[in-house]
Amino acid sequence: MSQAIVEVEGLNLSYKKVHAVQDVSFSVTPGEILAVIGPNGSGKTSVVECIEGLRKPDSGQILVSGKNPWLHRREVYQEMGVQLQEAEYPLRIRVEELCRLFAGFYERPADWKLLLTQLGLAEKRRRPVQKLSGGERQRLSILLALMGRPKLLILDELTTGLDPEVRQNMWSSIENIRKGGVAVILVSHYLDEVEALADDILFLEHGKQMFFGAKQDFRDYVKSRVPAEKWEENATLERLYLMIAPKTAGLTMEGIL
Amino acid sequence: MRRFAVVCKTELQLFTRDFFSFFFALVFPVGMLLLFGSIYGNVPLYEGAEVTMMDLSVPAYFVMVTGVTGLMSLPLTVAGYKEKKIYKRFDATPAGKMTVMLAQVFVCFIMTILGILLLLAAGMLLYQVRIRGSFLSVSVSLLFSIGGMFSMGFLFTAVGRDLKSTSLLCYLFYFMMLFLSGATLPKMLFPDSVKKISALLPMTYAVDLMQGVCAGDSLSLHGKELLILGALTVICTAAGALLYRKKDWT
Repeated sequence: MSQAIVEVEGLNLSYKKVHAVQDVSFSVTPGEILAVIGPNGSGKTSVVECIEGLRKPDSGQILVSGKNPWLHRREVYQEMGVQLQEAEYPLRIRVEELCRLFAGFYERPADWKLLLTQLGLAEKRRRPVQKLSGGERQRLSILLALMGRPKLLILDELTTGLDPEVRQNMWSSIENIRKGGVAVILVSHYLDEVEALADDILFLEHGKQMFFGAKQDFRDYVKSRVPAEKWEENATLERLYLMIAPKTAGLTMEGIL
Repeated sequence: MRRFAVVCKTELQLFTRDFFSFFFALVFPVGMLLLFGSIYGNVPLYEGAEVTMMDLSVPAYFVMVTGVTGLMSLPLTVAGYKEKKIYKRFDATPAGKMTVMLAQVFVCFIMTILGILLLLAAGMLLYQVRIRGSFLSVSVSLLFSIGGMFSMGFLFTAVGRDLKSTSLLCYLFYFMMLFLSGATLPKMLFPDSVKKISALLPMTYAVDLMQGVCAGDSLSLHGKELLILGALTVICTAAGALLYRKKDWT
């Protein structure tokens, strides 16, 4: 087994009195896709932001290629590419200017003109970034994440807001990136995406690590948590998730009509 | 250094696309020069004086340029980046937000110098304006003025919760100082009550310093102004940095 590119051990993070992340431990090896799943507010983004060196954990150890991302951000980012959940770019900047700017940050930048073509953005290179559609912006954010030829790619809600065709294209792009030996951490609410792409799953609930392991073992984990009468043998990953996800009251017509 | 240069290049491009910053830093001061030049002409300050009205006005407009870049362009750009979490995106690269912020300060500094050179060229060409102070004393005075204005702007970005509140602080202080410090309207026209308010404004000391040094005063004659602007720079920068340290940027 190859050495882990990301090692997280006993990670804890609080925002004032809220324990956002509690004792989370996992690892990711090169060429592997780890999906981080869980309900809204379960600490997914907090966990990845600690790996990205954007938040300082209260305790625990994080190593990316053997280095602490909080202390050695500049070195770590030569090997790590990130797509944030929400990303804005400077006002009035054009696509190619943004690409050129990001290329200037890395020792060995990717061929961004080629990537623009591959991602279907070549014709938009002179366009201001703020005038791109949601899907185009998302593709641009992937391009920027790939700019440093990363060994680790962190994608937070990669396909949120994209149409089905673009989503499928994104999936095959990620699969190709993984084949190149890149490790991917994928934060997602889409379980079909996780089913199609992930090798391992990290399932969080209220900041706690409920499951970390191979995608196939998630089934056994869910089976151990649900009553026998509710168990569905051939359930999809989404069905499995819904069996254990916290239930929220749906909207009723009471008070509306 | 390479990353800093790349960010500077982009920020410079973006500055020139921002009509407000570009116009008020480079065009507006020259417009003021033409307007007041046409009113006062190139007459001596008093009968027999060597110094003309425009000799005194141009250094005041220098301070106006530092006010535009330091109290408007820089803080509004920083506040916009903060609000939209653009710095966070740069933090997720090898460059980091500090590189971007320093580049923004540098670009505003360059545009200040450019604005001042334009003003000086226009003043010399149209009104035979003369700078009697030495290059060194004028440069030092300019650096103190820029330091004071830029650090105030920096503090506004740290105090303001969002772009709206930072804008409010910037507009309030900039326009108050623009009209009451002597940067646009000569202080000699102010009634005593307004002069008292003027004495409370940091920009007033920058105007006094620039006007004095450009008229040929040595720096030692302007110890008070240098001290006030130096202290302002240190206090505002330290207070701003402290506030940023306490706040959650991400």
